[in-house]
Amino acid sequence: MFLAVVELVASDLEEVARKCSLSYKALVALRRVLLAQFSAFPVNGADLYEDLKNSTAILSTGSKSLDKLLDSGLYTGEVTELTGGPGSGKTQLCLSIAMSVSHGLQQNVLYIDSTGAFTASRLLQLAQTRTEDEEEQVSALQRIQVARVFDIYKMLDVLQELRCSVSQQVMSNFGPVKALVVDSVSAVIYPLLGGRQVEGLALMMQLARDLKTLARELSMAVVVTNHVTRDGSSGHLKPALGRSWSFVPSTRVLLESREGTGGKASTNRVASLIKSPRQPTGIQVELDIGSSGELEKKPAASGEGC
Amino acid sequence: MSDGCRKAESGAQLLARLEGRTSLKNLEPCLFAEEGFPIHGAVIEFHGPEGTGKTEMLYHVIARCVLPKAGGGLEVEVMFIDTDYHFDMLRLVTILEHRLSQSTEEMIKQCLGRLFLVNCNSSTQLLLTLYSLENKFCAHPSLCLVILDSVSAFYWIDRSNGGESVNMQEMNLKRCVEFLEKLVREHHLAVFATTQRIMQKSSNSTESSIPLKLQCEADIEYRPYLCKSWQQMVTHRIFFSKQCNSGSSKTFSVVSCHTKKNHIIQCSFSVAECGVQF
Repeated sequence: MFLAVVELVASDLEEVARKCSLSYKALVALRRVLLAQFSAFPVNGADLYEDLKNSTAILSTGSKSLDKLLDSGLYTGEVTELTGGPGSGKTQLCLSIAMSVSHGLQQNVLYIDSTGAFTASRLLQLAQTRTEDEEEQVSALQRIQVARVFDIYKMLDVLQELRCSVSQQVMSNFGPVKALVVDSVSAVIYPLLGGRQVEGLALMMQLARDLKTLARELSMAVVVTNHVTRDGSSGHLKPALGRSWSFVPSTRVLLESREGTGGKASTNRVASLIKSPRQPTGIQVELDIGSSGELEKKPAASGEGC
Repeated sequence: MSDGCRKAESGAQLLARLEGRTSLKNLEPCLFAEEGFPIHGAVIEFHGPEGTGKTEMLYHVIARCVLPKAGGGLEVEVMFIDTDYHFDMLRLVTILEHRLSQSTEEMIKQCLGRLFLVNCNSSTQLLLTLYSLENKFCAHPSLCLVILDSVSAFYWIDRSNGGESVNMQEMNLKRCVEFLEKLVREHHLAVFATTQRIMQKSSNSTESSIPLKLQCEADIEYRPYLCKSWQQMVTHRIFFSKQCNSGSSKTFSVVSCHTKKNHIIQCSFSVAECGVQF
């Protein structure tokens, strides 16, 4: 049926009118209606700017140094990617971001966990370090909704549900979501990339498209995590998922753990900016992910915990 | 359509359509070899991998277009078709603020008033949107530049949806390109479009629009993968790459090729807070 729309719009209406013995006028009107319904409508830049000034928010990640790297935090309307090898702190960072948005900013978070790495007890721990008030802890945890998915189809479903629930405003007990965390995208995409490649890549790009449209339309910050691979020629670590995906995130942060100089308890984690629409790339900051959960700059915090 | 519809055009519209477009000659001389500047009808393709400054260059082009004549701009209108949800308005505003001598909110808005944005979510929607934009071009004589970022956005999805047949896979894009060609011809527009480098160069690439020697020099890796009609429509192809040596401040470089005349120029640029600097 939809193919027919394209065909009708593209066809020579005079000829169609002759062939189908319909009036030319009616066909022109029909064409106009179809175009109005299915085409996208151009917006004036000045109007869009006005809208954006009201809707754009910058969400703090809870870590001063990471905020600095990201030019003060996560921007709504954008997809930010955290990439790193196993144990580089991606999940810890995701949990910490979720808690920061939920407790610090009192906003709702949707957390999609595709690796099973999400742990509620860790999240509670993070809440406890932020406040001693139990009610506050509970409400902070309540603002984080967790969806467990194990393949890309389920993930697409969850995103679809999110979009529907917003458009139908059925979220009575759960207000608008300000941050979407997906840990991780590579876990659901990797299995698709063997075998019939085109299909897998198409699904990957569909997921990318959904994440980006959600970020824009619902004006929320999207955080995804990705694995790393080693670049064949230079040997440097680079984000996985290849070239097509590389165009998807607006901002990419590479996390690496380096052997700490201060003893066993501290592994230095270095976050470097490898893509950004605002900041010069290549800048680095140190992150310390202690058991206290507060992501803070290293020096003062290294003694605590464990 | 076309014939029947075109008759319905008023004389005023016709004049506006054909006479009113401002010259784009001074758009950005650095990007084009002599005689190769973008005239109306030019289709310029930006090609390169992620993070090589394509988007920044688009902001630069937009800024050049929408800035007032008094401020050194061309004062023309731009239609930006965003298929990647990639356009960052706040970044553009930052660039405009740096380039305006007095960057009042009012001035910024005046500039942005010359920009139109439309998001497309599928190749079908892109096609229908192009059809519906025709009226816009008729009504806005100073609208002389179309930016399409990017043409390759639906590549994988279309390939998967088209099944086994290459014709079906390329159908929508081919139609888009054909209609875009018609728009460009009839309304004297210029087009800037980006294509992403998502393919590795095949080992035996015989089909290439640039001399092999330069290819080696500039380390260009180019493999056309979009439909034939697109390849034929492009008049300038500009390759973006990033230089690895951190010694020089100009980290990005472009190689600009005129596909028909074989003009080639190379230049490098840097990206700062205020945008692209040559």
